[in-house]
Amino acid sequence: MGRVVLVTGGSRGIGRSIVLAFAEPGNVVAIGYRSGEEAAAGVLAELRGRGAEGMVLQADVTDLAQVRSMVEALVSRCNRIDVLVNNVGGSRDGLLTLMDPADWDAVLDLNLKGVFHCCKVVTRHMLAERGGAIVNVSSLSGITGLPGQTNYAAAKGGVNAFTKALAQEVARFGIRVNAVAPGLVATEMVAQIPATQRERLVSRIPMGRMAHPEEIAAVVKFLASDEASYITGQVIQVTGGI
Amino acid sequence: MNEIVQRVRALLCTRLKLAGAVAEINDETPLFGPTGLGLDSIDALELVLGLEKEFGVVIEDRATAIKVLDSIRTIADFIQSQGKG
Repeated sequence: MGRVVLVTGGSRGIGRSIVLAFAEPGNVVAIGYRSGEEAAAGVLAELRGRGAEGMVLQADVTDLAQVRSMVEALVSRCNRIDVLVNNVGGSRDGLLTLMDPADWDAVLDLNLKGVFHCCKVVTRHMLAERGGAIVNVSSLSGITGLPGQTNYAAAKGGVNAFTKALAQEVARFGIRVNAVAPGLVATEMVAQIPATQRERLVSRIPMGRMAHPEEIAAVVKFLASDEASYITGQVIQVTGGI
Repeated sequence: MNEIVQRVRALLCTRLKLAGAVAEINDETPLFGPTGLGLDSIDALELVLGLEKEFGVVIEDRATAIKVLDSIRTIADFIQSQGKG
């Protein structure tokens, strides 16, 4: 039987690769997006080209009401949801002493509160079905920290701890919750880092290169699959050896 | 009302696998904490799900859960107040 999957932030970057990793006949993959309608439609076309079903769902994950609408739209069509991938994320880097409190709030809301909202709404359905898998896309920054990312590191560190706590709450109900913590991935978000700083970061990676988004998506797919049936509450680092 | 109470008791027995303990408590015995049945927060989640499925009553927030899940009696009262059961 195919699976019903929701990927937030699925229109680009790692999220796009995750959507396409689930693109198999029988699966229904919902592509959550906030503003990239055209990009989301493009991913949907690719998804269908590979034989999977899908839909695009617009929502700002920082707004609980919008998350409810997004999830209801999927569940009303498929009657259930098997996999949630919380991939939405974004950074507003800056040194702490100069950081605008608005940048702190925005990053915490998007990266951490959004995960809370999506899990709160989706677990209700998974609990009723007594099964499901949640994968949160975190970051190495949430484990090791990175200068200029106190807000992002705090948010992703929060996601890691959230993952472990929720996993224990819902394990008895057949729901697994894990996280993937990528290092440096070749996406638009990382492309915004100044070239010299990016080169310095890459030079610290033992494998000597950034990850391809597909290399993150493959781990997400594994954690969501029955192959990972005994793994829960874990944060898997995919960092090229850092 | 008695029928609702019996169905709530049955729910506790089947969902939480506590048939023996449930038979020994009265309708007012606290379900949570050391002085009562000693259920924990994960049991509460199990109960919330069970009540939704069995009676169609939805418990959305923590304050309602604390009030409603106090005892078999409070659960039955809540179900009745919602026009269910």
